[in-house]
Amino acid sequence: MYSPCRFTEMTKQMKARRLPVVVATLVGAGLLAAAAPAAAQGVAGQGAAGQGKGDAKAAVQKIGACTGCHSIPGYRASYPMVYSVPMIHGQSGKYIENALNAYRSGDRSHPTMKAIAGSLTDQDIADLAAYYGKSQENK
Amino acid sequence: MKPLGPASRSLFQLLTGVALTISAAASPAADLSAGEKLATERCAACHGKDGNTPIDPSYPRLSGQHEDYLIHSLRAYKQDERKNAIMGAQAKMLSRDDILNLAAYYSRLPGKMSHAR
Repeated sequence: MYSPCRFTEMTKQMKARRLPVVVATLVGAGLLAAAAPAAAQGVAGQGAAGQGKGDAKAAVQKIGACTGCHSIPGYRASYPMVYSVPMIHGQSGKYIENALNAYRSGDRSHPTMKAIAGSLTDQDIADLAAYYGKSQENK
Repeated sequence: MKPLGPASRSLFQLLTGVALTISAAASPAADLSAGEKLATERCAACHGKDGNTPIDPSYPRLSGQHEDYLIHSLRAYKQDERKNAIMGAQAKMLSRDDILNLAAYYSRLPGKMSHAR
């Protein structure tokens, strides 16, 4: 099973050096790409019924790639520019979906987000949007 | 030039420190009321008056979001690093100061987003 912490820790350790961060991003993208089909298979039974519709419950198994950055208060993106990673828990669901699609297609540029979004299926994106958009109602 | 002695060096460091403090204090702070005015005129129609109630779920909540992330986003739309017809056009009308003021304003409003899992 893919561990989200591994990518985070790796990134943190290498934060001080620029080139290794790029390498870490690429390696992380490889890990994610490898992990995504497995995750998709795991929830295929649940996802098939609501094709195209997000399933917040199914997303619980898919948020690993998000929490390593978006669930750490004060965490900053370090490449290519430094700024606080946005809060996404409680954000508009459809906006999350559009943003992930835009990173995947290149309409938004960010190396890490492009790599992660590129590893997601349409169903993964719909599930994550449902999860993060709905999450504030669950509290 | 004669190398500086320990006393001169610490004096130099002190003066540098004072100068840096003054320049930091004198740098123009974001204008929150200008940000509020702009937010009301340009943003509220879509993102909601409180920045938390967008009229369409494809529009993001802004209130309480990190100030530096809001600045980054608006600059990205302005420079077409993020391609979006509506926000691209809106952001291109904003000056550097407008962006700083808007980000300062929205980041200080109470928000509904968090870093929770």
